[in-house]
Amino acid sequence: MPDPLLYYKAMATAAIVSAMSVLAMAGLRRSSGTTWLNSACVLGIGFGLTAGYYVLSLRLAWPPVNALDRFLEIVIPVALVIELVAGFLRVPNWVASFLRLSLVAAIPRILLHRSVYLNGTDNEWTLWQVGTAMVVSSVALAGLWSLLSWLLRRSPGVSIPFALSLSSLCGGLTVMMAGYIKGGAAAFPLAATVAATTVGAWLISKRSSMPVDCGGQAILGIGVAGLFGQLFIGHFFGELSAVSALAILLAPLLCWATEIRLLRHRKPWIVGSVRLVLVAIPLMLVLTEAKSDFDRDMAPLLVPTSALLPGS
Amino acid sequence: MRQCISVWTLTFVVGSLVFAGGRTASAADEYDYDLVHSSVSFKARHLGISWIHGRFNEVSGKFSIDRENPEKSTFALSIKTDSVDTANKARDAHLRQPDYFDTKQFPTIEFKSTSTKVIKGGFEVTGNFTMHGTTRKVKLVLMGGKEHDFGKVKRVAFSTEHSLKRSDYGFDKNAIGPIGDEALIMIDCEGVRK
Repeated sequence: MPDPLLYYKAMATAAIVSAMSVLAMAGLRRSSGTTWLNSACVLGIGFGLTAGYYVLSLRLAWPPVNALDRFLEIVIPVALVIELVAGFLRVPNWVASFLRLSLVAAIPRILLHRSVYLNGTDNEWTLWQVGTAMVVSSVALAGLWSLLSWLLRRSPGVSIPFALSLSSLCGGLTVMMAGYIKGGAAAFPLAATVAATTVGAWLISKRSSMPVDCGGQAILGIGVAGLFGQLFIGHFFGELSAVSALAILLAPLLCWATEIRLLRHRKPWIVGSVRLVLVAIPLMLVLTEAKSDFDRDMAPLLVPTSALLPGS
Repeated sequence: MRQCISVWTLTFVVGSLVFAGGRTASAADEYDYDLVHSSVSFKARHLGISWIHGRFNEVSGKFSIDRENPEKSTFALSIKTDSVDTANKARDAHLRQPDYFDTKQFPTIEFKSTSTKVIKGGFEVTGNFTMHGTTRKVKLVLMGGKEHDFGKVKRVAFSTEHSLKRSDYGFDKNAIGPIGDEALIMIDCEGVRK
């Protein structure tokens, strides 16, 4: 059964551990360079997620047996390693891009491993349809990642990782209301750690006059891969609809709306607030729809059938 | 003439051996699971005060009963998790999700015997029971086994009950909630052969 108090505890733990890790690591070196801060962000997310999942007491199997196991034991660690490597100044950009694209291409295959979709026994999907869905999913992920990364370089700010955190939170709630409690719960520490690490990195960059987006690409990469993974699992293994999954996945792209001339040169806090409001609108719509579906589908399980009959 | 007799003798000997071999191979009677006259059902505690009943509508299997050497009999059953039916569509959809049966990842529940022992009134069958990606060795007491000849179709039937803990099979303890950890599986199956 869903336990809201446990989810708050897991989110708070993940947030505190990741923010404190970033601040502590940055404090270890007086002149923290961008590489050091990037590494601190990646490790901060890693520590935060570990702590959050420990509090949630998610029971994972090794070797992984289901999609959530593979997501938390393969996809997230690989994303962390890639962002750690990509943050080193000596690593050429093309190597970082290659590693990220490899992960993008591999995530759907990893998550669907040994499922009915790939062994051809699913009643609703043919292998050809599954192959197409995997390619389309990877393209959508690559598109989202590239566009947000471009926006972060063009107009840096904490609002983009925050938008990802909001989407992750909404994704978790929606997956949970669609009936997959454990899958939804797994999104909460991710949402918390992305937001907290962003705050930690922002505080450090303020103090040491580093670029405001320092560490942002790493947070963005892990946040995007995490958001995609949770929605992919929710759709293919749970009951999350494709429309809801796409709306949540693509909502952070609304941050681009502030690039119009009217808003672009406004103060950073105005641009950031507008971005978050714009991203929150479709997320609220998805949540409202999910809540009404939840009330309709779960009601027969919670109340006697006679109470649902007209006139009763 | 002598050569002709030798050929006939050889043919007879070889034919006898083949026939005898064939008899030995068919000493074990092969039965297919009869979906129409069988059922795999289960019940689990609700809030610790009552039982929720359900069944699986799609099951297949094979039994091989060796009357001369019953220890060589084998049993195999495959249950499609997607066919879970508790007479409530919303609950069935919920049970198919990864918190419960995770039917997209684990489409079947399987039982395959590894050894069989004759007991009074049936067989004690030890085998591998695989559910939710976890395989455990279980012992099933199959009662029955008497063959019934109806027209050209021969039937044999078995009944068994098996109690298990869902947490032993990788089900998430947090998702166990109001539905108890322990579940009872009831299998009543008929096998047919022509």
